[in-house]
Amino acid sequence: MDITNTSAARLNGPPVDRDLAFEIEQFLYREARLLDEERYEDWLGLMAEDIHYWMPGIQARYRADKAEKISLSRMAYFDDDLDYLKKRVERALQTTAWAEDPPTRHFHMVGNIEVEPTERPNEWTVYSVVFNVRHRNEAEQLELTARRRDLIRRDESGDLKIARRFIQLQQTVLQAKNINTFL
Amino acid sequence: MSLLHPRSHQADNVEALRALVDPGQGWLDRSIFWDSDIYALELERIFARSWIFVAHDSQIPNVGDFLTTYVGEDAVIVARARDNQVHTFINSCSHRGNRVCFAEAGSARRFTCNFHGWSYGLDGALAGVTAEHLYKDNPTFDREKLGLHKARVESYGGMHFANFDPEAPSLADYLGDFRWYLDVLLDNDEGGIEFVDGNIKSRLKCNWKFPAENFIGDAYHATWTHSSALLALFGKAPRMHPDRSFQVNANGHGWEFGTDFIGNAATLGEPEIVDYLRDSEARFQERLGKMRSRMIGSLSSATVFPNLSFLAGHNTFRTWNPKGPTETELHTWVFLNKNAPESLKEKYRRGVMLTFSPAGVFEMDDGENFEHCTASNAGVVTRRRKLHTGLGLGSEIDHPELKGHVHSNQVNEANHRAFYQRWLDLMTAASWADVPAR
Repeated sequence: MDITNTSAARLNGPPVDRDLAFEIEQFLYREARLLDEERYEDWLGLMAEDIHYWMPGIQARYRADKAEKISLSRMAYFDDDLDYLKKRVERALQTTAWAEDPPTRHFHMVGNIEVEPTERPNEWTVYSVVFNVRHRNEAEQLELTARRRDLIRRDESGDLKIARRFIQLQQTVLQAKNINTFL
Repeated sequence: MSLLHPRSHQADNVEALRALVDPGQGWLDRSIFWDSDIYALELERIFARSWIFVAHDSQIPNVGDFLTTYVGEDAVIVARARDNQVHTFINSCSHRGNRVCFAEAGSARRFTCNFHGWSYGLDGALAGVTAEHLYKDNPTFDREKLGLHKARVESYGGMHFANFDPEAPSLADYLGDFRWYLDVLLDNDEGGIEFVDGNIKSRLKCNWKFPAENFIGDAYHATWTHSSALLALFGKAPRMHPDRSFQVNANGHGWEFGTDFIGNAATLGEPEIVDYLRDSEARFQERLGKMRSRMIGSLSSATVFPNLSFLAGHNTFRTWNPKGPTETELHTWVFLNKNAPESLKEKYRRGVMLTFSPAGVFEMDDGENFEHCTASNAGVVTRRRKLHTGLGLGSEIDHPELKGHVHSNQVNEANHRAFYQRWLDLMTAASWADVPAR
């Protein structure tokens, strides 16, 4: 699976409904603000029960290499279900989470949002990019860029939920000591 | 300091180096975490002459498989050649010095330089030269001498190490008594271990020795630094037992551990992992004896000098690759018993990433510590005071079973001191003949 390889058929498909696209864009912007404000429990509320939140390790391999550049069986920064995400949030909210105090000043910018229909009427494939900067302590400034592919679902109550998130980090060597945020 | 001799007087002077590190009393001069001349000497005297871990057998199982990594700051290719042997050689063309392999892993028949097309075999030998007739009758063109600079490669339990010093002792002698301890992980089950595919890499702005010493012996930090993760995953801090835990070291390699069998493994929060260990306990004991079998998943951490660290129970190996005196590239792997059930492998792969990868709930507090321990030494006044590494002085004991130097109580800094003793031995030795067995 590779976010850079999307099927050619989609290039000419009709756009989804404008109101739906607007709703999903607003949903993703709100999600980014919740992360900026460290409202992690509210953020968890945007996840579907069956969420798969996946940020694989990226390998620099030759184009001719037949091995997959990204694989579910390889190591990943995140390969989480809801239970794992909850554990991460629980750690971040402890008063002894030393790396979170003083708090990181978060910045999540989301763009290039594309909404595509799926075979199910209440689910959409949503592409986006995220630019994240974490400012810490005096002069630390850690930048991450990633491309994302989400599966966004409207649940029975009418709320949008993130059911799959695939995050393709663009660094093969993470230029940071940690990832104390979500993308 | 002369511009012509960038290595400072201090760094090259044995007495000055001895004044920096006092392993007997546990005092460390902060300049060893900051000074660029000392760092340059570390690359020469430690990384260019020690056995450096480069690959596990399972990462390059077939002829042609390769990966790229580092020995100190030297970029190397590690490849399995047609003789089925693992070769390690410098990733830099003999002609103009360009890198010859840019992929981090893959399979190849040759490594061809992008610049003029010189190519090298899987054993590093020069295999082809573009328009070779141009070199006909050239008195300095000697194919045999123009291969890529090769390291010695030796292995233990499937772990391949490279060494660029022809004078260095064998890997077996270099590891010494520590091999007996490595068997706890490498040989607790028929078939040994394998690495999960993939290697998470990250950069920390810290001196490489802070994480290396942390893993060799810093049980002290575990319940404080990692309080938040322990509470989130485990509900409480696990208890360490001074009378039933140890620090052991040999030749500068060290392991701090409890004899609690499952302490580290339990903090992964995956009951299936603990069940597997418990169900296998009799088998482990048969292979390793009772004492070593109790180390398999216990509260513990370890470092093979200089820069290979690991956690039993959390099943992670990692190397701390120096990138200047204040920067380190961390390479992280997950390993498992080859014959463990597939479902268990998946639990380990995910569990280790949740805890001990850069996004892991344990690891993220470590990076913060290592970076600030390093950065504070920019201050010249700060550097005037030495660091205290004296916990557990006088704790060495005789033990009927455990090998090497044995200290009681894993909450100790005996292994730190052994690490810096080895560091000092190598830094002050003109050749391996001057390095004592420790």
